[in-house]
Amino acid sequence: MKRLELILSRLLWLVPTLIGLGVITFLISHVIPTDPVAILAGENATAEQIAALRRELGFDRPLPVQLLAYFQDLLRGDMGVSLFSQQPIAEELATRLPATLELTFAAVLLASAIGIPLGVVSALRRNSAIDHALRVVTVSGLAIPSFWLAIQLQYLFAMKVGIAPLNGRIDGFGPEPLTGMMILDSLLQADWESLGGALRHIALPAITLALPAAATIARFTRAGVLEVVTSNYVLYECAMGLPGALVTWKYVLRNALISTVTQIGLIFGVLLSGAVVVEAVFDWPGLGAFAVISIIQSDHRAVMGFTLWAGAIFVIVNLIVDVLHTLIDPRSTR
Amino acid sequence: MMPISRRPLLGLAAAAAATAAMPREAQAANRFVYANNSNFDTLDPHVVFDTARVAVRLNFYDGLYRWVDNPPKLIPWLAESHEVSADGLEWVFKLRRDVKFHDGSLMTADDVVYSIERILALNLGAAPLFRPLLEPGATTAADPHTVRFRLKEPSAIFGSLVPDITVVNAKLVKRNERDGDWGRAWLARNVAGTGSFRLRRYDPAVGFIAQRFPDHFAGWGPKYLDEIEFRTVLETNTRVLGMIRGDYHGTDGYMTPDQIDRFRASDTVQILEQESMRVFHFCIHNDRAPMNDIHFRKALVHAFDYDGFINDVLKGSVVRNPTIIPNNMWGAPPGIEGYKFDLELAKAELAKVKAPLRPITIGTLAGFSETEQAASVFQANLRKIGIEARIESAPWPTVSSRMRNKDQQYDMVPYWKSTYYADPNNWLGELYGSRYLGGGNVSYYSNPEVDKRIERALVSTDQEERQRLNEEAARLVFDDAAGVWIYNTKWFGPYSKRIAGIRFCPVGSGQDMRWAHFA
Amino acid sequence: MSTSNSGFLAGAADIGRRLLRDRAALLGFALILLLVLAALFAPWLATHPTDVYEIHTARRLTPPGAEHWLGTDRMGADIYSRLLFGARITILIAVIAVGTAVLIGVPIGLVAGYYRNWFSDLLMRLSDIFLAVPQIVLAIAIAQTLGPSIENVILALSATYWPFWARLVYAETRSVKNETFVEAAIALGASAPRVMLLHILPNIASAIIVRTSIGMGATILTAAALGFLGLGAPPPTPEWGRTIAESREYLPEAWWYALAPGIAIFLVVMGFNLLGDGLRDILDPRIRRGGREP
Repeated sequence: MKRLELILSRLLWLVPTLIGLGVITFLISHVIPTDPVAILAGENATAEQIAALRRELGFDRPLPVQLLAYFQDLLRGDMGVSLFSQQPIAEELATRLPATLELTFAAVLLASAIGIPLGVVSALRRNSAIDHALRVVTVSGLAIPSFWLAIQLQYLFAMKVGIAPLNGRIDGFGPEPLTGMMILDSLLQADWESLGGALRHIALPAITLALPAAATIARFTRAGVLEVVTSNYVLYECAMGLPGALVTWKYVLRNALISTVTQIGLIFGVLLSGAVVVEAVFDWPGLGAFAVISIIQSDHRAVMGFTLWAGAIFVIVNLIVDVLHTLIDPRSTR
Repeated sequence: MMPISRRPLLGLAAAAAATAAMPREAQAANRFVYANNSNFDTLDPHVVFDTARVAVRLNFYDGLYRWVDNPPKLIPWLAESHEVSADGLEWVFKLRRDVKFHDGSLMTADDVVYSIERILALNLGAAPLFRPLLEPGATTAADPHTVRFRLKEPSAIFGSLVPDITVVNAKLVKRNERDGDWGRAWLARNVAGTGSFRLRRYDPAVGFIAQRFPDHFAGWGPKYLDEIEFRTVLETNTRVLGMIRGDYHGTDGYMTPDQIDRFRASDTVQILEQESMRVFHFCIHNDRAPMNDIHFRKALVHAFDYDGFINDVLKGSVVRNPTIIPNNMWGAPPGIEGYKFDLELAKAELAKVKAPLRPITIGTLAGFSETEQAASVFQANLRKIGIEARIESAPWPTVSSRMRNKDQQYDMVPYWKSTYYADPNNWLGELYGSRYLGGGNVSYYSNPEVDKRIERALVSTDQEERQRLNEEAARLVFDDAAGVWIYNTKWFGPYSKRIAGIRFCPVGSGQDMRWAHFA
Repeated sequence: MSTSNSGFLAGAADIGRRLLRDRAALLGFALILLLVLAALFAPWLATHPTDVYEIHTARRLTPPGAEHWLGTDRMGADIYSRLLFGARITILIAVIAVGTAVLIGVPIGLVAGYYRNWFSDLLMRLSDIFLAVPQIVLAIAIAQTLGPSIENVILALSATYWPFWARLVYAETRSVKNETFVEAAIALGASAPRVMLLHILPNIASAIIVRTSIGMGATILTAAALGFLGLGAPPPTPEWGRTIAESREYLPEAWWYALAPGIAIFLVVMGFNLLGDGLRDILDPRIRRGGREP
């Protein structure tokens, strides 16, 4: 009952959050000195032409009227069209989502594969040299500027050694888009050449994103494992004579991973709303890169569409994480 | 998530069909890959009018005439010839009869009429060039192969503008119109042209691949490219390294000398060198204190270290251009030497300024490091004569839209004035003529003596008179120190050594691919 | 946690002593000290102090050597000297932005956590909305709106960062409010501002301090990212993020260009994180590292 209540109240909460988000981004995007109409009209445009275009697009109406009109459209499920491409915003976001999704999956997988074992080892050997060394590593992982790391990786692996490409998702257009996620698509079509290309392209951006994420995961895993290891029932199991390794994997990990799962979920949410800087450095055609271009061109509808998406993802991911929490750990239902 | 979860099924079915028809997309051995420094967010030829996305207009579409070579010359293209009435108002173009659209249908005068009406109605892209001259409905099809334009006023430059009437397939576009949108949503993602290449794949985030159109009316030489791919690669360094590695066969030719040196040092890239028509200058806001004082402006033009910038930062890769009109364009006044870098002279001029001095703002183009470097050089020298300069860097869309607003315009902006049409008016008139105030005249300069000459040059049909008028007007603007004119760009087109036949024209910046081929 | 305000100052000395014993935290503190010293004495430590503004086109892109320890940049300026002056900007941005965010967020969190009515709900909902947008996206939008400059970066960062503090302080306040000593103070008739300032704030101060240290690191990273995207300080400001962005055009030849600024950012952020970690261990026993021995 309580769980259902929690989910319902959180889902309801999504609505005011999105409205609030809409209002805030609307206000911010509309006071930007960049005039989207002037950009659209081009370098040779005349004053009359710009004015006419502004009228046509409804940008000459008072802000509250524009805001209301936007929300009316939104209620009908219409996010508007991009000022520049004339395509529905929902479609623009949908075409970029697979790229971001793919990168997010890759980064989270990599980060978990690195972070969880590190955290477990660190906790089981706490205060040992390994623990201290890993602490330095995890603290460093969180301190590296991602854009700098990206450039250094490019320098090393793309420019010096030449085993990875500099940017993009694949050479050319890649396999026929089924899901839009190139690795999956090339697997589905048994297109091994594209698969290799996609993997080589995703490696550097995924590593860039995975490093700080792995550090976070390792820290929380360590804390979680420590808490469980030092609690009484593990002592009891040990006393019962179960082999150490079994205890570690069967009992400790499952209970310790609650906070780790939470963190992975949150990281997933953050990356899904577009890893802005990393996508920009690697020319990764995802949502983050789209957001930056839209902001720069003052494509209001696109900016708002993206912000609403990011907000929704944030709220939903938090909700899922909370629900998972109550499933794994019934005590946390408050 | 909905659209995604639905896609796999649809997509799988489509893929199954595709695989049946085409066993495996063979990477064409003859595919030319161009690394473009800008996004192709739309394929509509009537919506954008910038050099960054000119590839769409040149390779998918054709105009009535076409610019080729350097210095640019007009050759008949969709039209075989034209005649102008004695009063200069009626322009009649005879069209070719053998022009096929990509869908196989024949092009007629109706398509041309629809295209110009579409340009005027959308009021974007090249529309500002045509709207002062043409009313909607003023273009008629006299017969299926004759188009008649009835101008509002005589125009000497209309002939230079017709290459930008890119012709779309009227029937096809009309079929895809939605709520009277002139097919805008559809043409943004599809191509309906007669051009040398037809669209095969397009992804706004990635670029496009196009296939040679064998039935193109102009025919094909013995050698040609089977496929062209234009790929968006925003980062300069990535384009450079990709060229050197051989991933790309061509990229933009306006890079900094540092990058050109790297190309020259590699054994995969050739550099095609051409004097272009792209004048780098600091645009000055002439209608704001203290820049509205000629002495202040004289102080500015004497405080820029032309030689230091051209020889050290740009390594002597460009030539000084003393006025706004490119040296290699007719109408550029002969015998002008250009202002000299002389801080003493600048100080003397500054002493005559009555208005109180204040820090001035220079708006630079983020991502175009040359503008920042020029501004930094200027800033360092201005400080020596007691003028504080602040640099504000912003992306081009921001800078350009601020420039268009008189109150928001920066005090100075370093940028290139590119070729949209090869006539002195493209530089002089658009930047300093009163008729373009609120439009292209972002220097907010207004001088009746200059206007008189610009206006006359716009209607005169006498080439000699037009040249004289432009020279006089350019000289007046020069004497007023209305801008800091620095150099005319050289085009250093980086192409793979395997590529031959690139035909450079300042209007298309070497992206007209129908002439090129693998050597 | 339930020590009252009287013991707080006395505890500070103890905290200092325990910090000295934590080697990692000490390292963090040393790194921050290095940053501050570099910023303070930049004009004296720099080998080419005028290179922030002057231009030497003849010696552009020189590799590191005896004359230029860290090499020169695209304008021929000494990277080492510019790095030192860049430290000033880093400190300026981080201190003011985090300071402002704290000054906005803490009172909101305090008030909202203390009174539990529709207004405190509204405040928290508002901060939740801000939290729902990725900070960097919101900051880009604001920096783009206001134009690129140091002031606007600071503004954008504080405007997007206060909700973190509001959330944190709100949660802490609510848990402390139920403690006996707060309830006692209220029962004794202490005014609401008095309870908040003298009884609640000192008890949640440790959480705020820990978060401030880590927040400084995070803010420096975001500020550098904005600089990298071209939305930070304009040239020729020796801002570190912008320098890294500039360097991209000259790789792989000018490998030294991005190296030093990147390492500088890394070390400073690491300094704040290590210090924050150390402080957390000392101030917040609930999540103390090491834990209880079995």
